[in-house]
Amino acid sequence: MNRKRALIADTFCLTKRRRCAADSVTGDSQDGAADIRSSLKYLVTLFSRKLFNDSLPPVVLKHQLYSLHNDKTAVDKQVVRSDCFRPTYKYSSWQSVPDHFIITVTHSEALVFSLPRQNELRENGELLMFQLGFDSEAFALVFAEDYRAKVLQGEAGRGTLGTVEKFLAKLIPSCSDLSFNKEKMLKEFLFTDSEITQLVKSGVLTVRDAGSWWLSIPNSGKFIKYFIKGRKAVLGMVKKSKYGEILKTELEGRRTTSQVKFQMKYHIHDIIGAELVECIQTTSGTLLRHVDGNVN
Amino acid sequence: MLSFLYARQSGLDDPVRLRRAESTRRVLSLKLNHNRDVDRIHGNGINTLDIEVIDGRYMLSGGSDGVIVIYDLENNSKKPQYTCKAICTVGRSSRHVHKFSVETVQWYPHDTGMFVSSSFDKTMKVWDTETLKPAEEFQFDGNVYCHHMSPVARRHSLVAGVFSDQTKPSACELVNVSLTGHRGEILSVRWSPRYDHILATASTDSRVRIWDVRRASGSLFTLDQHNGDKSKVSSEAVNTAHNGRVNGLCFTADGLHLLSTGTDDRMRLWNSGTGENTLVNYGKVVNESRKGLKFTVSRGCSPEFVFVPCGSSVAVYGLHSGELITMLRGHYNNVDCCEFHPDYQELYSGGKDCNILAWVPVLRQPGIEDDETNSKRGGTQAAINPAFEDAWSSDED
Repeated sequence: MNRKRALIADTFCLTKRRRCAADSVTGDSQDGAADIRSSLKYLVTLFSRKLFNDSLPPVVLKHQLYSLHNDKTAVDKQVVRSDCFRPTYKYSSWQSVPDHFIITVTHSEALVFSLPRQNELRENGELLMFQLGFDSEAFALVFAEDYRAKVLQGEAGRGTLGTVEKFLAKLIPSCSDLSFNKEKMLKEFLFTDSEITQLVKSGVLTVRDAGSWWLSIPNSGKFIKYFIKGRKAVLGMVKKSKYGEILKTELEGRRTTSQVKFQMKYHIHDIIGAELVECIQTTSGTLLRHVDGNVN
Repeated sequence: MLSFLYARQSGLDDPVRLRRAESTRRVLSLKLNHNRDVDRIHGNGINTLDIEVIDGRYMLSGGSDGVIVIYDLENNSKKPQYTCKAICTVGRSSRHVHKFSVETVQWYPHDTGMFVSSSFDKTMKVWDTETLKPAEEFQFDGNVYCHHMSPVARRHSLVAGVFSDQTKPSACELVNVSLTGHRGEILSVRWSPRYDHILATASTDSRVRIWDVRRASGSLFTLDQHNGDKSKVSSEAVNTAHNGRVNGLCFTADGLHLLSTGTDDRMRLWNSGTGENTLVNYGKVVNESRKGLKFTVSRGCSPEFVFVPCGSSVAVYGLHSGELITMLRGHYNNVDCCEFHPDYQELYSGGKDCNILAWVPVLRQPGIEDDETNSKRGGTQAAINPAFEDAWSSDED
């Protein structure tokens, strides 16, 4: 790799940086969450509401955050359930430790625990995550208030309103599952079979397989259709460019075809985050290069 | 660097700290070196490399043509320009050579008198290095994809081999122990470097299982990428380690973590004691290999690094942070295997282009003497390369 400046290990950097980070341990994680929240808000503005006649809450995909933040693991920690992240490392001799860990030293080993996540967006019930279905790794994120507002707006005047309200009341404060099986619905949430059918009819639940359901966004079929078409069209634009690469600023300025219904920037964040194009820093800005492995 | 030396000298710092810091600096500056070369003997792609653990002097390589070569990595000539010579070869002309591609070779962990090779001709041979004749040969029913001998075992010398047409890894010595549990072909097997009875296998049914050979009735546990959160995936994909075939396994040097790569273009880091997915996100690790992928982890560095062959280059990731540090480009075709030399922090990689490339840390540039800055790498004031000096310009302008 051509490097003008060599890679430098953290240990060789000036100590000032480490001292600052160690002082504000909680401050660091708060900043991290605030960052993610502001990126989410920014991505929400890129979502075109008018396209769906305002019936859909603004949907952001999780991998779009990867294009805005360098550290994918940190983004995952804020967005994914925090009890999955409990790495307990045992260090038997000196090793550098990431800043926001606590170290307890026993006679021969140092045990490292991670701090409990205070600003966990999903734990707080601020964010909901959905499995969209077209890709096992593509997860959609929606702010809980937006979701609640749109769902109730869509259900206004229908008979299923009461059931849906009950479901949302159970779901939003605490639950962070993507799918539910029958047992959970019947025992924990105390829904009857007919109520579950009503929920499926209203679009809040989608069938996953016999006896289990995905959490879903009502009326999201159109969204997925436009999204996939738009993604394919944008990737085609990158592929057809000379040498299969195009500057990001140039792509943003291009006129979109009728296939592309969303804003160009929304799609660009998506293809960068999902690593469907290679992102190369050049002196004229970011270059997006088509990657051979992808057919679409 | 000087402050590290002073701190070590005065006892402020642990002696190992300087070593780790310097090893990390060296790994970060890995580059192809035109002074270091490895003899080109193989006529076909190189599938596997192994450096012996005792001295780190001899390297074994196995190729797609069935040839096995032993190289001497030590530089005894006084010149910087050095080619790692092939000391001996089990070539096509030898009577005992494997008939088809050699998939895995490994030195006997306790001395270099013996090595084991396994191949697609359905045999696994234990060779005597002195005479280059097989001392023992095991026959199997299917192609042997991978084998591994435990690097820490004192009480047993089991070789675990996995082969196609059977979904069980066998640990064979004189006793043939079969471990059942996988539903698809097993592509990779590794012993834990921490406990001599723990074994990990990776298979095409998307699962990674951890076994205890003392209890050959069933696996200890299966690695689950969602850590038991069954709600995240469709019901077929529950309890899988990857969303595609799992084709590479590697334990970290201390044996506490296990890395696995799969054809879903993901690499995952697992806690080998509990089987928990640590959810470090490495991004897309391109993986198109139909058979096993051999990758390696650095040893002795402060943030450890993973070296994974990705297409025709080797990607270097930080082990716990998940960030891509750099891509080592130099091969002309797919890279199949790579091996880290812990004493010199060098990386050897072999691939389909029949070359073994040595990635050597770049030496520090000599600093100007009156410019002692305290940043260690900063201000690389290189002496002017004689190629750029000319005879007519003068410094006094």
